[in-house]
Amino acid sequence: MTLKEKINSDRFIVCGEIGPPQSCDGDLIRKKSQYFKGIVDAVNITDNQTAMPRLSSIASAKILLEEGVEPIMQMTCRDRNRLAIQSDLLGAAALGIRNVLCLTGDYQKFGDNPEAKGVYDLDSIQLISTVAKMNDGYLLSGQKMKKAPDFLIGAAANPFAMPLEMRLIRLYKKVQAGAHFIQTQPVFDMELFMRWMERVVEMGLHEKVAILAGVMPVKSVKTLLSMQTNVPGVKINDEYIHRMEAAPDPKTEGVRIAVEIIQTLKTIKGIWGIHLMPVLWESIIPTVVKEAGLCNQN
Amino acid sequence: MQSDLTTLDKPPISPRERKLSRFLLFFEDIIKVPLFRCQHCGECILSSTGFVCSQRCPKRLRNGPCGGTGADGSCEVYPERKCVWYRIYLRSKFFCRLSLLYKINKIHNWNLEHTSAWLNVFKKRIDAPMIFVRNDKDIVKDMIVDDTQRKNQL
Repeated sequence: MTLKEKINSDRFIVCGEIGPPQSCDGDLIRKKSQYFKGIVDAVNITDNQTAMPRLSSIASAKILLEEGVEPIMQMTCRDRNRLAIQSDLLGAAALGIRNVLCLTGDYQKFGDNPEAKGVYDLDSIQLISTVAKMNDGYLLSGQKMKKAPDFLIGAAANPFAMPLEMRLIRLYKKVQAGAHFIQTQPVFDMELFMRWMERVVEMGLHEKVAILAGVMPVKSVKTLLSMQTNVPGVKINDEYIHRMEAAPDPKTEGVRIAVEIIQTLKTIKGIWGIHLMPVLWESIIPTVVKEAGLCNQN
Repeated sequence: MQSDLTTLDKPPISPRERKLSRFLLFFEDIIKVPLFRCQHCGECILSSTGFVCSQRCPKRLRNGPCGGTGADGSCEVYPERKCVWYRIYLRSKFFCRLSLLYKINKIHNWNLEHTSAWLNVFKKRIDAPMIFVRNDKDIVKDMIVDDTQRKNQL
């Protein structure tokens, strides 16, 4: 069953995420993919995340396909102009990659090549439109393709950045452009998330697009604090920080918090699934999925 | 098929026009640079962005803010600045022009960089500015409940 069929069949979706290494170590991805195999529905492959050069997302996604895990290839606008984006998408489709997540990308200043030229020829909404147009069988130039790709189009949303209304306008535009599913930033502030979700339901967007809420299991309070300071647009409730600080075993507490968040998310109207983001802690995924009672996959 | 994604169907800019464009740009700059800190993209969308130039964004986004706007509305790249799209939102709200933010702007035509937007409007390469917006709140409401929009077929 592909991710597209799963989204159509109204089941609770669970996605994972793997960040490719800063080396040509393909075996690392093979090893990490084993934590996800048969446990989650699809796995995101990040595209040069934190603006550092890494093993390319297309190559990593192909490795996942070989391992029998369905990849969601991330595609950012930071590194490619419209020519490269279209050719990379065609190449990915030819390799059998069926899901693409369209992002603008972290600004190059935050990576290890801060002096690099950012491209930003398209933005994420225009990228979604481009993929939708290619699904219809046309390149951006209007030329008809002999064989059209069939991508499931994903997009990101940040429910925690201000102002809320602008976020909803942007989400609306992404749905309008042709996004099929939305992945959000990790939820660490349930109140803000609920407020965002209420407005999404009010606008009726939850029926048009599959909303997958982000969940991040954290290892230690240090990770949590560095998330708050270094990752723009992430809000963390003080309660979680206190709990992580006070816990005798922060790892178990991290899992407990993640499971609690998942249980709450499952009860919210309009949530189609979750997106697990274990940054450098992929081995915990089977535990989190099992404890959250989501083990009915496949 | 979405036909209005690029401006490829519009007439290209001829060398003679480029000369005229440079002449006009001189006068355009006198107004637009001090008032809006114009970045000369040649595809002016000022009127739909609450008269704040969206091209001042470090990522030059034309369709809304990236995910990095801070809690106080600061830019993620230059924290000492306010996010351009945050200002656009506030200004659009103040002028009752929020409905214009729902429109998806086309992919930028880099051939129009450093040309006169006035000439491009006159030559119908880009959309004419929207000076007046009536019944903004009703338009927004209609847009949100509009079911005729592109349905996502999975």
